[in-house]
Amino acid sequence: MEKNKEKAKVLYDMYSFASQNTIISYTGPFDSQVLAVLAANIEYSLSKNPRIRKKIFKIFIELAQNISYYSLEKLDAGDGNEFGIGILIIREFDNHFTFATGNIVDSKKISPVIHKCETINLLDRDSLRQYKRKLRNLPPGIKGGGNIGLVQVALTANNPLDYKLIPLSEEQSFYIINIKIDK
Amino acid sequence: MKNIYIKGSHGAHFTPTVNFNYETGICELKGESYLEDTIKFYYPLMEWIKNYIKTIKKELVLNVKLTYFNTSSSKCIIDILNILKAYEQNEGKVVINWYYNDKDEEYEDELEEIEDFMIETGLNINNVPYN
Repeated sequence: MEKNKEKAKVLYDMYSFASQNTIISYTGPFDSQVLAVLAANIEYSLSKNPRIRKKIFKIFIELAQNISYYSLEKLDAGDGNEFGIGILIIREFDNHFTFATGNIVDSKKISPVIHKCETINLLDRDSLRQYKRKLRNLPPGIKGGGNIGLVQVALTANNPLDYKLIPLSEEQSFYIINIKIDK
Repeated sequence: MKNIYIKGSHGAHFTPTVNFNYETGICELKGESYLEDTIKFYYPLMEWIKNYIKTIKKELVLNVKLTYFNTSSSKCIIDILNILKAYEQNEGKVVINWYYNDKDEEYEDELEEIEDFMIETGLNINNVPYN
């Protein structure tokens, strides 16, 4: 009985945390059906503000695709396809929105991504565009991935990337990207 | 040679409308571009353009009216533009019109994107406002 109460409390804490200022939150596999539903939700819940809607939509596509391809935790769809698992939360505050994603990554493979985040945050808009042009000329990654998703996210939001890496074990870390979009 | 016509769709992924006509030399790409397999979609378009350049050898007009494209698509657009740049360098006639919505509050971002395509490929792209 006590245990059940504890579980209920955890669930309530999760709910209170995830629902605060939240427009959309999702945890689970990022397969194309889910992405379509989330995309439709973004279109619908932000329809009063087309400017923000477009920005958040652009950010969503790039970050969701990153989770789908690069999360270490995968769902086997059974048809030969695998989809990465992660979390996404979009929140609204008085003067801005935040867009956060998190997923488990291979600790050994994440350093180039962290390096890219560091580089992005050092650059002003013109240098960022130059960096994007340079990366766009490199050979494509998985499924034609452009290597430039994160750069595009920073350009679209016009704010630096707030990123964190929480080590879970020697092999795994939890990778978080949080981006602010001004109203 | 055959013309290419693909009707755009807006579902789990977004397919742009493609209208490549070898008789008029006008190639249109419009709508939204966010595909499950970007290269698989754009590769035949690139092959078509290469074939046009090799066999038809006339002016090629590319009209782009994309309201949304993801970064993977932008990489394929660069590949198309590079093919056209090479054609231009071999005395081929190329016109590129990029339509943008000047009523859109974010049209400056769009102009920036067009400018980036020009800098990256060395091609001239005409910015054409519409609304």
